[in-house]
Amino acid sequence: MERAVIGYRTPLLPPIDLAVRANSTLGVLGPNGAGKTALLKALLGLLPLLGGRRVLPLGRTPRVGYVPQRDRLDMSWPLSVLDVVLMGRAPLVGPMKRYGARDRDAARAAMQEIGIGDLADRPLYALSGGQHQKVLIARAIAAEPELLVLDEPTSAMDPAAERVLLDLVARLKSAHNLSVVLVTHQLTAIPGFADEVALIDRERGLFEVGPAEQMLDPEKLGRLYGRVVRFAKVGDKIAILIGDGAPR
Amino acid sequence: MSGFADFWAGRDLWREPMIAGVLAGAILGYIGVFVVLKRMVFVSAALSEIAGVGVAFAFWLGAVMGIDPHAHGTVPLILEPTWFSLIFACLAAALFSLRPGHRKLAPETIVGLGYIIASALVLAILNSPRIAQEAHAVGDILFGNAVTVPRQQIEALLAATVLAVVAHAVFFKELLFVSYDPETAVVQGVGVFRYELLLNLATAVVISVATRAVGALPVFAFSVIPAAAALMITDRIGVTIALAVIFGVVSAALGYYVSWVEQLPTGATMVVVASVFLLPGLAKIVRRSSV
Repeated sequence: MERAVIGYRTPLLPPIDLAVRANSTLGVLGPNGAGKTALLKALLGLLPLLGGRRVLPLGRTPRVGYVPQRDRLDMSWPLSVLDVVLMGRAPLVGPMKRYGARDRDAARAAMQEIGIGDLADRPLYALSGGQHQKVLIARAIAAEPELLVLDEPTSAMDPAAERVLLDLVARLKSAHNLSVVLVTHQLTAIPGFADEVALIDRERGLFEVGPAEQMLDPEKLGRLYGRVVRFAKVGDKIAILIGDGAPR
Repeated sequence: MSGFADFWAGRDLWREPMIAGVLAGAILGYIGVFVVLKRMVFVSAALSEIAGVGVAFAFWLGAVMGIDPHAHGTVPLILEPTWFSLIFACLAAALFSLRPGHRKLAPETIVGLGYIIASALVLAILNSPRIAQEAHAVGDILFGNAVTVPRQQIEALLAATVLAVVAHAVFFKELLFVSYDPETAVVQGVGVFRYELLLNLATAVVISVATRAVGALPVFAFSVIPAAAALMITDRIGVTIALAVIFGVVSAALGYYVSWVEQLPTGATMVVVASVFLLPGLAKIVRRSSV
C-alpha cells in the first residue's frame, strides 16, 4: 500500500506505506482497538482505501489462506473437520462444481501436515481450542496460498501453546514458500517470528514499520502500549518484561 | 367406518392439500437447516409476513381498480396475489442480504423491523373498508388454511421447490462456506453477498409460495422445527438435512391425517405433530444435564 489512507468513513491514521514482501513474515502489532483489523482489511482489499493505492506486484490478487479469530466461528455447526478443511478448496474448485478426489486428497494432506490427520471425521464441537486453531490453519493451507494471513491466532493460548503454533506456522512458511502476515495484540508472539514489524495505534496516531530488530525496541513498544517495556536476554532468547508505570 | 377408512374414502378431498403440505414440509425442512444454523429463524417469520403484505396489497389494489380478485380469468396477471407476494418477499430478502455495517443496526434489527412493519401493514390493509369482503381470504393465507389448496398453488410450490433444490444443489459448497464463515469466504474471493442473496431469494420464493398454499403458521414451523429437531440428534450435515426433510414430510402428512380424523385445525395440528420430533433431542439434553 502506498500513501494509503485507511478508515471506514474518516481516516484512522495519517497516510501509510506498507509492503508484504515475498517469503517474509510481517507482524502487525498493536493494543486492542488499535485499528489492526481495519489495516488488515485494507491490505486484503476488503476495505476501500480513502486515499493512496494498493499495488499488486503479481498483477493480480494473491491466493490467500486466511485464519480468522477462532472465537468468531460457531462450533455447534454439524460439520466434521474434513468438511471445514475442504472449504479452503472452494475458490480453487470454482462455482457449480463439487469437491473431487483431488480436493479431498489435498485437504487430508494439509491435515496430515498440521498434525491433525486423525481428526478428519471428528465433529467440530468435539475439538479442543488448540485443535480448532489447527483445523483453521489446515483449511488455509488447503487453499494452496501464496499469502497466509493469521488474525490473532494465539489470543487464547498459554505461552507454550503459542510457541508451538508459531513454530508450526514458521515450518509451513518454509515448506510452501509463503508470505505471512500475523496480526496480534500479544507482544510475545512477534520476537523470533516476524522479519518485519508494523506497530499501529490509532488512538496515538502511531504507525511505524521496519525490520523486526529495529521495531522491537523497548522505547517504541513502551510508546505503543503506554507501559515501561524492558528486554532481558535469556540464553539465545529475549524475555520481554512489562513494567507498571508509563514510559517517560 | 374406522378413522383411517373414513380418511381414505375422502382422498379426493385431501389429495391436493396433502401434496402441498408434504412438499412444503420437505423443502422447508431442508431450507430450515440453513435458517436455524444461521440464527435467522425470524427471517422466515418476517418473509412470511411480508409475503402476506404482498397478497393483501394485491387485494387492495384490485379493490381500488374495481377488480374482483376471485374472478379467475378476469383478473389481470399483474394483479395475481402470488406475484405480489413473491415480489415483496424477494425485495425483503435482498434487503436482508445487505450488511449495513451500522453499529446500532444489527441484521436482526432489520429483520425485526421488517416483521413489525409487515404485520402492521397487513392489519391496516385488512381493515381498509375497500377490501373488507376479502379480509377472510387474506386472513386464511396469513393464519393458515391447508384444508383446500388450488392446483395452481401446488404447481407454484413444486416450481419453487425445484428452483430452490437446483440452486442449493449447484452452489451447495459456496452456500455452506458463506453461511458458516463469511469472513474467510470473502477473503478467499468467494462472493459472500452474491451467495447470501441467492440463499435468501431461494428462501423467500419458497416461503412466499408455501405461505399462500399452506398458511403462515405451518410455514414458520416447518422452517424451524424439523431442522432444530434434526440438529439436536446428529452432528453430520448430510444426516441433519436428510432427517429435517423426513421430519418435515412426516409432520405435514401425519398432521393432516390427525386433523382430518380428530377434526382439528389443519395448520396447527401439523405444527403440534412436528413438535413431537423435538422430544428425542430434548431427552438427550435432559440426560446430559442430569449427569
